[in-house]
Amino acid sequence: MFSILKTEWLKIKKYPAFWWILGITILSYPGINALFYFIHKDMTRSKDMAAQIATAVFGSPFTFPEVFKTVAFSSSLFMIIPAILIIMLICNEYTYKTNRQNIIDGWSRNNFLLGKFFSVLIVATITAGLAIIVSFAIGIINKNSETVVQPYNQFKYMIYFYLQTLSQLSFAFLLGLLLRRAFITLGVFIFYSVIVENILEGLGRKYTNDLGRFLFLEISNRLTPLPTFMSKFGEERYNLLASQFNQHIWLTLLYTLIFWLLSLWIIKKRDL
Amino acid sequence: MNILEIKNLHKSYGKIKALNGVSFSIPQGSVYGILGPNGSGKTTLLSIILNVLNADSGEYFWMGKQPTADLRKGIGSLLETPNFYHYLSAVSNLQVVQSISGRGNKNDIDTVLEQVKLTERKNSKFSTYSLGMKQRLAIASALLGNPKVIVLDEPTNGLDPVGIAEIRELIKLLSTKGHTIIMASHLLDEVEKVCTHVAILKTGNLITNGTVEDVLVDEDVVEIAAENNEALFNIIQHFDGLKSIITTSETLQLHFVKGSSNTTSINEFCFKNNIVLKYLSMKRKRLEEKFFELTGN
Repeated sequence: MFSILKTEWLKIKKYPAFWWILGITILSYPGINALFYFIHKDMTRSKDMAAQIATAVFGSPFTFPEVFKTVAFSSSLFMIIPAILIIMLICNEYTYKTNRQNIIDGWSRNNFLLGKFFSVLIVATITAGLAIIVSFAIGIINKNSETVVQPYNQFKYMIYFYLQTLSQLSFAFLLGLLLRRAFITLGVFIFYSVIVENILEGLGRKYTNDLGRFLFLEISNRLTPLPTFMSKFGEERYNLLASQFNQHIWLTLLYTLIFWLLSLWIIKKRDL
Repeated sequence: MNILEIKNLHKSYGKIKALNGVSFSIPQGSVYGILGPNGSGKTTLLSIILNVLNADSGEYFWMGKQPTADLRKGIGSLLETPNFYHYLSAVSNLQVVQSISGRGNKNDIDTVLEQVKLTERKNSKFSTYSLGMKQRLAIASALLGNPKVIVLDEPTNGLDPVGIAEIRELIKLLSTKGHTIIMASHLLDEVEKVCTHVAILKTGNLITNGTVEDVLVDEDVVEIAAENNEALFNIIQHFDGLKSIITTSETLQLHFVKGSSNTTSINEFCFKNNIVLKYLSMKRKRLEEKFFELTGN
């Protein structure tokens, strides 16, 4: 296992494109959350009526413990950024046929997949780690004089965000494995995640008793729900999603497993 | 012991039959040439034994064992085009090979790069290499760690004549040290110079295989000439054991059953019949000639 990790490290340590995109990812997550934070701060800062209404509606989504849930949700909207890294890592192996060479040199197809699994795991860990750091940073910055009874009781949303990231990056990996071309995979991933799945989820909610929740990304999207203040805009729907929550944890784990089993089957069956 | 045994391999790409029940064995210590026209199945065969392709049916054994990734680690290979990380240098790419295969150490990387004359460019990115340099790096990768078995698919592809000669000498040297080399090539002249055994494929079928000697020589051919070839022709027709005579512009080619010719007897016979030969030679069929004959070209 160590030798597989070492080999994957040798592949990327001098790969400029990888480090550029990782750098963008690392900057994006604080940036995205800072953006939402400053918008909120702007809307609620002043003493006028509009600001007071905004404060009443939004509450304190950037203080402990709510900040964990808020950052998990806002970070989950930009899964495309770490997905670019994963898609690049798998598609490049096919473009330059280095996947063939790895097998010829003595890796089994299982070894090759394991190496890529570690890459996905590490990127998901970095992404979740960033979200945790950002949550604490914003929470500390935004700390007020009021004593919060359980400041970390919503930290669990960071764990759920990690699980969501792992699942959705696994899906991105599977797409890359199937399509083998980086730009096409990226295009399909964006088109599916931004447009297709949202349409299907909406149709599912309207016509099929919410069957859309079983779609590939939606299954884990429900692990990072809207911030609590959004319950004011649809309490019944908000409570329904909350009631399905535990089910989605297990389903996300199951889908992630299926993505990797499918990937294994494809790699074993396919001629390189 | 046979290094590789191939049994009844079949492989199709849709309707195209790339390999049709190919079977043969490769003895240890041989330099085994796999020849065939384009599309004959050479690369498909090598791809299967290196686990790049899955055979439809049939099996193969390395060193008498079921093929595994661990066995492949001990085999140095060059398959089709050189496949390396374009953003890494020669040294870094070979470090990846080393990490996967476990063959060799840090010093061995410099050694093999020196062997293929890439030392000066060892720290340049792979993307900046010419075709010949890429091929040399691929050969270096196959040689890394001094593996006992080496598989080379068109190793001289993209090399200049000096490079081709260097690879030929390298293969000969490796052979004298007991390495087993499996080589697919179009350069029949090169194969004839270095190989001890050959297998010839055509449209997925094995046409013939064996030692180069066995494949090339299926009859004895003795070439003779005299001042008066017409008179020589009239006399030599009566020589015992002669299968056929082919007349060329300057000589007569006498064909005998393999192993039955005797140049001394031929010379004596002509002399007794008052013909003095000015030319007498046992002719060996060129591999190229045999290749065209067998593949119907």
